[in-house]
Amino acid sequence: MSENTCPVHQTLLELRAFPSTHRIVHPRSRRLVEEIATLIEDIVTSRAGGEHLPSIAARADELVGFAGDSGGMAAGAWLRERLTEHAEVFRSHVEHRNCAASVCDHLTPAPCQMACPAGIDVPTYVSLIALGHDDEAIEVIRRDNPLPWVCGLVCTRPCEMMCVRKRLDTPVSIKFLKAFAAERAMSWGCYDNPPQAPASGRKVCVIGAGPGGLSAAYYLAQHGHTVRVIEALPRAGGMILVGIPRYRLPSDIIDREVAKIEDLGVEFRYNTRFGKDVDLDSLRAEGFEAFFFAIGAHASYSLGIEGENDFPQVHGAVDFLQRVALGERRCPGKHVVVIGGGNVAIDAARTCLRLGSQQVTIAYRRTRREMPADHEEVEQAEEEGIHFELLTVPMAVVGEEGRVTALRCLKAKLVTVPGSNRQSPKPIEGSDYEIPADAIISAIGQRIERQWFDKIPELAWTHRDTIRVNTITMETSVPGIFAAGDAVTGPATVIEAIGGGKRAAMAIDRYLGAIPQPKLPPVPVRQQRVACFDVPANTKMALKRPEMPLLGIDRRRTTFQQVELGYSENQTREEARRCLRCDICRRCGKCVTICKEKMGVDALALGYLSFEHPEESDFRRTEQRCISCGACAANCPTGAMRIEDRGNERVLSLCGTVLNRQPLIACSSCGTVIGTERYLAYIRGRLGKLAAKIDPAGQLCDACARNKGHHRPDTVMVTG
Amino acid sequence: MTFHKGQLVRVKGRSSDESWESYMDSLVGSRGMVTDPDTQINDPDSLIEVSLEDKGTFRLPQDCLEILD
Repeated sequence: MSENTCPVHQTLLELRAFPSTHRIVHPRSRRLVEEIATLIEDIVTSRAGGEHLPSIAARADELVGFAGDSGGMAAGAWLRERLTEHAEVFRSHVEHRNCAASVCDHLTPAPCQMACPAGIDVPTYVSLIALGHDDEAIEVIRRDNPLPWVCGLVCTRPCEMMCVRKRLDTPVSIKFLKAFAAERAMSWGCYDNPPQAPASGRKVCVIGAGPGGLSAAYYLAQHGHTVRVIEALPRAGGMILVGIPRYRLPSDIIDREVAKIEDLGVEFRYNTRFGKDVDLDSLRAEGFEAFFFAIGAHASYSLGIEGENDFPQVHGAVDFLQRVALGERRCPGKHVVVIGGGNVAIDAARTCLRLGSQQVTIAYRRTRREMPADHEEVEQAEEEGIHFELLTVPMAVVGEEGRVTALRCLKAKLVTVPGSNRQSPKPIEGSDYEIPADAIISAIGQRIERQWFDKIPELAWTHRDTIRVNTITMETSVPGIFAAGDAVTGPATVIEAIGGGKRAAMAIDRYLGAIPQPKLPPVPVRQQRVACFDVPANTKMALKRPEMPLLGIDRRRTTFQQVELGYSENQTREEARRCLRCDICRRCGKCVTICKEKMGVDALALGYLSFEHPEESDFRRTEQRCISCGACAANCPTGAMRIEDRGNERVLSLCGTVLNRQPLIACSSCGTVIGTERYLAYIRGRLGKLAAKIDPAGQLCDACARNKGHHRPDTVMVTG
Repeated sequence: MTFHKGQLVRVKGRSSDESWESYMDSLVGSRGMVTDPDTQINDPDSLIEVSLEDKGTFRLPQDCLEILD
């Protein structure tokens, strides 16, 4: 670990302790101290802009000038001193985003945490799950994400894409671990909300009860603001309720998560549509000062083909899934064709099967390789009997007497269009044919229902018909209005919406407090550093990611029961132990370089340390070659590589993975530990002829060898 | 679709797309992985989710990215 001290980081730590150590009692002083701490945190996490330092100085002056609280005055005076004494360092942090002491850099999160749009401290909660502390794991997750159970079942898991373990074999199954811990914590009654700030008296309205809106409401309520969520549908959840089928995400789970947010005092008003039942003026008249739009993208694009609007059996996928989610169980048809190749198309097709359709066909205009749907979803759909018509371009809906009878299609081939690096489907002339169908579902994308915002002409939109925002703060073109989720990104992921909602909540809090907004996106916060626990190298290599047990195929085809059944407890704990703890090892590779190039031993096969060109990795090799010299540990900047004597063994470990254990040799004269046999042999090898012959009576430490050398001139001291 | 989930990519330069914000200039040159391509309609105009090493996860226009592998 670095022994350096960073004045900025140190100021933050001391300032946070100030209210209790210096008895700052007046609310005004406490508020100022909190605001200053927020601004310094921006600096430490590299998010500050030019106005941060003047704002801090102004608030310090305000503290000093407020005679009603001596503790606050002391804090202000102390801060002024810090700012003057370390002015250069503060400026360097803000202007150059550089911490010369490397302390702030030291807080660089693991790749999995960096990859998470909500910034969840993955290594910490995975470690807690490995230790069986599921409730603590959920507490850690809920600091950054109010919906851990939902995400444990439906997250697109960017964290796993960036998981360093993937370079070694397969990524840690982070998503399913989260689902296990969430279920366990809820079952134990330990799914607690974090403490809330005192009521601020400020009112914020959240429009849309999807993942983005729920996330914003959760964080705003934690800040003490009065939050009302208005939702057009009769239940909360948004796209996770009406866009994701129940066999992937049971609605009970959404209800339990929403209930926790309600417990924070958030008010939900259902069946209330913005732009129809309420508008900005009516909400402002009720005292709402800030607004957060998270309305999702609930409208389906139309196919634009002949006959599309002529038959009631042609449905938009989102409308269809929404009706089913809200309780409709009518089979759309015996032979259904779903048009599209994305996740929504797969969901619609699998839902039809569960409603009783005999034949469900997905018509997609490119090949399987180009299908944008998740690979696992496609596989599961195929297992259930969904038929795929690939390289198929729909041309017209065919029917008679008001009923659909077929979808007329053309076969296509992929061709490279000049000037483009992507292949496009080109219809083959004369290849037209019909797929018999009595219902057709269009799943070719979603868009935002923009018409509800007609009364806010100053709200800026992008050419993609999404709300234009500053993605650091999620501020729109209208002061006091913020937005996130699919309404901003277009159809995207649950975790992005959650992250956007969190970011917006922080920005709204600042907006209400007139605090300057950050100039860079947030850097995820490391919540804690769980101590490493021993896992033998053999075990670390041998543990494999478990297969997810699935519901029986017949049950899957006929009911909406959850398909993925979850890991057993044993599988969960073992899977969590596969984590490489990248929150501690920063993969700088110094250990490998020292071992190979300086010591000439080459005992560390850690090829996974390279992001772009990972080479062979095998923790077991160390045991064969390591001499226990400790050079790797001595040069490790983060304390990830450790060497320590435990009993009569010297143990080398990397973030808890025990790479090598060797018996220790003690001085035959005084009993002091002098190293391991391999290490002493290495030293003798380096000394060559200068090395002392091994005394049959045993080896000696430096001091005893020196003493003995006075009496026996042929003895040469063994040095390390 | 030009980009697939799991592809290694590099931010090759600024984009002229309206979604490009000034702070994104600091992402140029960063390497990372496509974590969520357009999963709906293979639209080359849509923003795709990319996780960049040591930078975080962003939704970027496709014209600023190049495939590394």
